[in-house]
Amino acid sequence: MYDIATIVVGIIQVLAMLALAPLLTGIIRKTKARTQKRIGASILQPYYDLLKLVRKDEVISDQTSWIFRACPWVNFAAMATAAFFIPVFLVYTPFGLVGDLLLVVGLFALGRFFTMLAGLDVASSFGGLGSSREMMISALLEPALFLSIFVVAITYGGTNLSTMIEASSNSSFLPHPQIIFAAIGLFIIILGETGRLPFDNPATHLELTMVHETMILEYSGKSLAMMEWSQSIKQIILFTLMVNIFVPWGISSSILFSSLAVGFFMFAGKISLFGIFVAFLESSVAKWRLFRIPDLIAIAIATSMIGIVLCYL
Amino acid sequence: MVSNLILFQISVLLFLGGALLGLLSRNSRFSRHAIFVPSMIGSIFTIMFSIGVITGKPITWMIPNAVPFFDLEIFVDGISAFFLLIIGIVSFAVSLYSIGYSKEYQIEKRTAALGFLFNIFVLSMILVVSSNNAFFFLVFWESMSLTSFFLVIYDHDKEENLKSGMTYLVMTHLGTAFIFASFLLGYIQTGSFSFDSFRHGSAGFPLFVKNLVFIFAFIGFGTKAGMVPLHGWLPKAHPSAPSNISALMSAVMIKIGIYGIIRTIFDFSGFGVSPDFVWWGMLLIVFGSASAIVGVLYAVVERDIKRALAFSSIENIGIILVGLGLSVVFASFQLTAFAVLALVASMYHTINHAVFKGLLFMGAGSVVSATHTKNIEHLGGLVKQMPWTALLFLIGAISISGLPPFNGFVSEWFTMQSLLSSHHIPSTILQISIAFASLPFALTIGIAAATFVKLFGMTFLSKARSKHAIHIKEVSRSMILGMSILAAACVLLGVVPYLGTSLISTAFHLSSQPSSPFDSVSIQNSSGKSFANLSMPVVVIILSSVLVAIFGFIRVLGGNTKKTAYGTWDCGFGGLNERMEYTPTSLSQPIRAVFKVFFKPHNQTEKESFGENPYLLKTVKIETVVKNIFEEMLYAPMVSSFVFFFDKVRRLQTGKINAYLLYIMITLVLLLLFVRLSNNV
Repeated sequence: MYDIATIVVGIIQVLAMLALAPLLTGIIRKTKARTQKRIGASILQPYYDLLKLVRKDEVISDQTSWIFRACPWVNFAAMATAAFFIPVFLVYTPFGLVGDLLLVVGLFALGRFFTMLAGLDVASSFGGLGSSREMMISALLEPALFLSIFVVAITYGGTNLSTMIEASSNSSFLPHPQIIFAAIGLFIIILGETGRLPFDNPATHLELTMVHETMILEYSGKSLAMMEWSQSIKQIILFTLMVNIFVPWGISSSILFSSLAVGFFMFAGKISLFGIFVAFLESSVAKWRLFRIPDLIAIAIATSMIGIVLCYL
Repeated sequence: MVSNLILFQISVLLFLGGALLGLLSRNSRFSRHAIFVPSMIGSIFTIMFSIGVITGKPITWMIPNAVPFFDLEIFVDGISAFFLLIIGIVSFAVSLYSIGYSKEYQIEKRTAALGFLFNIFVLSMILVVSSNNAFFFLVFWESMSLTSFFLVIYDHDKEENLKSGMTYLVMTHLGTAFIFASFLLGYIQTGSFSFDSFRHGSAGFPLFVKNLVFIFAFIGFGTKAGMVPLHGWLPKAHPSAPSNISALMSAVMIKIGIYGIIRTIFDFSGFGVSPDFVWWGMLLIVFGSASAIVGVLYAVVERDIKRALAFSSIENIGIILVGLGLSVVFASFQLTAFAVLALVASMYHTINHAVFKGLLFMGAGSVVSATHTKNIEHLGGLVKQMPWTALLFLIGAISISGLPPFNGFVSEWFTMQSLLSSHHIPSTILQISIAFASLPFALTIGIAAATFVKLFGMTFLSKARSKHAIHIKEVSRSMILGMSILAAACVLLGVVPYLGTSLISTAFHLSSQPSSPFDSVSIQNSSGKSFANLSMPVVVIILSSVLVAIFGFIRVLGGNTKKTAYGTWDCGFGGLNERMEYTPTSLSQPIRAVFKVFFKPHNQTEKESFGENPYLLKTVKIETVVKNIFEEMLYAPMVSSFVFFFDKVRRLQTGKINAYLLYIMITLVLLLLFVRLSNNV
């Protein structure tokens, strides 16, 4: 089953994820601008930003160590490696034999570990503030994420993403009741993981509200480009997981060109719609106070737990 | 080819020789080498014979009537050899480290005692694991506990250390009493103290006795392992001991407790495929997840680097117990494949924890010996002054946080897959309870990563927070070498899980998986599809090739750009200094606030003002205190009730000879009555 063609398609999927990640960010920003009655920058703006940043000289804090300089590369490598295990428009990813959803979660955690260290490395109170908040949010998101993975894995028979998404696309139109609860939980977690409102405001530079931005405050030039890009890749991976696990319609199960093309366009459509939905949601809620965020995560944990009980009843 | 038995005897002699040399070579220039070189060689022999046993035949050796009525029986099978291998690897690295580390003790104190106790401590751990007779097991167990007690109070001029030593001594003997009780039950049933007779006779024990044997052993060995709520001694004793000893205690000694639990369950308690034993597994899971979450919550708010590591040991023991418990549950339902998976998870984490906790304690020891403080509030910025220690500590921190591609991830992956496999258990209530037990487990992993971000970041990164962390030197070469051995093991066990899994499956005689280093671990679901796969070597290849590719891509896209070093952004005000940095306490403040029900944090404020005016303050001192609910709600009431009870008992001790004669007579009469009555029956 895993012949050369599948591997080629698998690598194309990875490249597509890496290439389309900034576009998704652009779509979300554009939608947000329109809902706020602004024209907004072009949806290609994130690409221009990245291109500009990689050509710029860097200023690096003299307090920092090699960890600060290594962090963007570790982050990018972790996110791009995670992209290998995600079925995007073909159900079978040839790398399913290498790693599963738990590995993807682990790679995200690796990136976050280094980002938190980089935040501490710059010796400013901003970095520490961001790391401190991220420590709390990530520590709480971990169990919520594992529980919703638990529900999905048991329902669809695997943490192997190909198995999971294939079972999901073969199941009936009406999903299992526990899947709805898992979807609610996972949606909240994705908002948290990607640093979206109401967890974190990606567009702010106000020390009272920011989490992710404070940790990368000292970055510039190429390093900043890597941090921004890997954040977009993380976002597209999580969105892809959400749409492919819960609405796997149109995903190709063979490597025929026609069905791959259908799969690709369906994927592009679904993920843009999901991005637009998130953007609308962001425009309609305010950032929550930091210490109310655990309540939100508690909702995610509770729904996943209901899902687990429903699995077994 | 030298037989394994000879290798075993040589290694015992080497450790004894090291102990003797330690006593003889007082204060000579080479006394450090005289102590630790024999233990290094002895550890190599231990590694050799334990690998020999794992791949070959077990060692049996017997000296009849070594002590009147008791035979010294030595029996090393795969399970013992697995633990001996862990002892060997860690004690080799720690001995190498100690050559450099004990230098500071040579100046102020005699190293003779340290060397003697160190060698005897390692030797008694080896003998505990290899002995095959309850009497000698307890003798060696006691010598392990006593030597470690003396090592805990090695810095006996600090009163705090004496206190923690006492706590340790009392609790470890409490544990020993329970182990004794468990063995006595076996003796009553079989009439022999030999483990062989326990092994053969245990299947015939009545169920009630089986349960009691398990419960007593669980409490006794659980105390040694540092399981909640019997963990009270661990966060006191481990930080008090010199760091090389803390490394041995945390990495190896508490694993002996795990060894005892495994031996009891699978060998001495008549465990079998029957729903009667499900609750044993559930008990292990419940106490395991409680240990994991309690340990990590205290670790994350801790400011003392060694105590934080000690709390994290409690957490990891919890993870090991969860895996073991799942294995017991699966085995009692005859789900063999999953029982194997969970046992591999648990044992993989055992060896992982030995490796990375040894590394981290040695790293902490290097930091303490360079800066003379254990409080991370006073540290910071060490990465520039101690680059090697920082790198090695970082490897340990990433491993223990369970991040790919290091070893912690592999064993946590196995444990998570075992938790997910719980849906095969044919009982809804058990399925749901195990699923809910995975909540504290996952929370533990999340908070563990936060703990080590804090420990590493606050110790090694940003600016120095006090004069302790300025103008210090990298530690000596032997210390770095000792740490590198364990760091290499962390990387190897993470990148090539085949090493670990094949070791465990050969030692425990399980079916092996994966079959070659590049093969992936695979778990199948009920419809025969892949439930999960993991192949760490390929993950590492992908990671590194992505890294190279993106580096080249960015270089081509952006061209050569300049890097300028400049001060950190200070909002244009200037004068950013170390007092504006985040401190460890403030870093963990959000987590403390979220779990305030558990921590009950409160601030103690002391103010001193100029004269009458309360607003003109001279000094303000604020201290954030976290309550230790176990100390306050469990240990303190127990201690005070004991004190109360024995106060009453003291009245019997009047000091008058007539009263004592009366007691003797009463006892005599009672004994005679007892004999008379029991004869009648």
